[in-house]
Amino acid sequence: MNATNKRIVAILWTMFWLSTLFQWPSSAQTTRGDDIAVVVNPDTPVNDLSLAEVRKVLLGERQYWNSKLPVVLLIRAPVARERDVVLRVIYQMTETQFKQYWIAKIFRAEAASPPKIVYSNDMQFELVTALPGAIAFVDARNVRPGLKVLRVDGHLPGDRDYPLR
Amino acid sequence: MHRRVLVMVVMFLAAGSARGQSSPPTDQTEQVKALLERVEQLEKRLAEVEAKQAASPVTSAAISNVSTRQKSEPQGATAPPGPAHDHMAQEQAVAQQAEIHYPSLQFRGFADMDFSATDEKGTTSGFKLGQLVLHLASPLSRKISYFGEMTFNAHADGYTVEVERSIIRYDYNDYFKLSFGRYHTPIGYWNTAFHHGAWLQTTIDRPEIVKFGGTFTPVHFVGFLAEGNIPSGGAGLSYNVGVGNGRGDIISRPGDAGDINNNRAWVANIFARPVKLYGLQLGASVYRDKITLMNGKDYREWITSAHLVWTRGDPEFLTEFANVNHRQVLTNRTSNSQGFYTQLGYRLPWFEKTLKPYYRFEYIHTPKSEAVFTNLDLVESIAGLRYDISSYAAFKGEYRHASRNVLETPTFNGSVSGLFLQTSFTF
Repeated sequence: MNATNKRIVAILWTMFWLSTLFQWPSSAQTTRGDDIAVVVNPDTPVNDLSLAEVRKVLLGERQYWNSKLPVVLLIRAPVARERDVVLRVIYQMTETQFKQYWIAKIFRAEAASPPKIVYSNDMQFELVTALPGAIAFVDARNVRPGLKVLRVDGHLPGDRDYPLR
Repeated sequence: MHRRVLVMVVMFLAAGSARGQSSPPTDQTEQVKALLERVEQLEKRLAEVEAKQAASPVTSAAISNVSTRQKSEPQGATAPPGPAHDHMAQEQAVAQQAEIHYPSLQFRGFADMDFSATDEKGTTSGFKLGQLVLHLASPLSRKISYFGEMTFNAHADGYTVEVERSIIRYDYNDYFKLSFGRYHTPIGYWNTAFHHGAWLQTTIDRPEIVKFGGTFTPVHFVGFLAEGNIPSGGAGLSYNVGVGNGRGDIISRPGDAGDINNNRAWVANIFARPVKLYGLQLGASVYRDKITLMNGKDYREWITSAHLVWTRGDPEFLTEFANVNHRQVLTNRTSNSQGFYTQLGYRLPWFEKTLKPYYRFEYIHTPKSEAVFTNLDLVESIAGLRYDISSYAAFKGEYRHASRNVLETPTFNGSVSGLFLQTSFTF
């Protein structure tokens, strides 16, 4: 191999590794997710829930805020980051396990209907505003005025120890 | 020499393209996420533009014109709506769509197909159509709901249809829910956690102590039931208390069409789901009844049961114990039969957690003094694998080895091994 060929090989080798480095999803490229806020209809008589209480609500073990106000669960459709965080942190289930959980829950006559699926933040905002007792999970960047943001374990989104992220 | 360089260039390009091809799933997910973010940004922009338009004098004028026109026009005339009006109308439409309309019937089905081959004398291997289960759930109002479960069962001479559960429930709040109907008796864990759809349970069959058509514990119950949570902080206590007809003439069946005596059965079940141990449930139940057999003899029945389960799947651990005490009313002669099972499963981390190997050990002992049951002595081991083909369908394969009391059940050859296969699904 003469010097020219060696140089060509060296350039190609350098290009290969550079391209590899740029294609690799580095920690800088995958943006750190923002906190997921727990929002409720402003008339809901609750301001602060522990993570365990949020889990009870999402598991359908707590179905009433009080005897006159049932919980209306809203969950984003698959692929949304809010749903990923809810499934990972609160349910600790895969997508399949989540679906099976709710089928079994209804089949056991423990709940009359599964959580309502929402497809966008707009839809989520409109439903939480319109439905008494509604609870939803919103990226903290997209929280709008008119929603009540709950403290979780005493923390609001943005706090260092906020658990939903 | 140049050829060698050319070969290396081709290899380089091939490696690059192969690398590019190896990452489409991540790329697609990223793209979908990016698109969702873009949709959200556009929604924001749209909301801002609409807000600006609503605030601008031209639009205000247009709105005032519209309102003036609305006032002057006769009722029934429609005015062209402005953007703000559109937004409000859209909000109302979404909210209306999301509102539950009563009654709101939801329908779900379960079915399974089975294959079995055992070394039991006098049996043949082959396929069997499992239960076809139809489940109905319908909220009748914000606090009243109905649940129904029907099964279609294959027999040698045709099919039978059975109403397995039919329940109307009134929810006062989380602490008190009252229902009437036909239930799966809340004794222990399995009987109320898994119902007739085989897809719901990890294994092919239910444990012997809660087997449908079995006699060890009364699987069904007709009457009323109060249930709910108990304010108990981190202990996560809940209860079921019920009164009903109890066992019928045929002790494997409840008194659907009326009780066989003037004594009601009652059941109480308490269980805890500790907040700090998400997935754990432990509980205890008692059941009391008076049984009148077809020969006219009366027996007092007293069932005590306890369970401990970890339901998270990795691992899944279920264990349940029941003691059935029978005392003949006339002679005071008593007998105690015990049964338990322990089941361990583990959802493997590979293949998207679709594989779950499991093992179950079952044991039942009935003493010779037992007069209500026929002999049910059993020692059984089950080892199997469940594969979730999709979110709604599963394949299961099991090897079973069981030993029973030969003298009391002469048709059974004492020790039986067999292979069992099932595909179960929900639709």
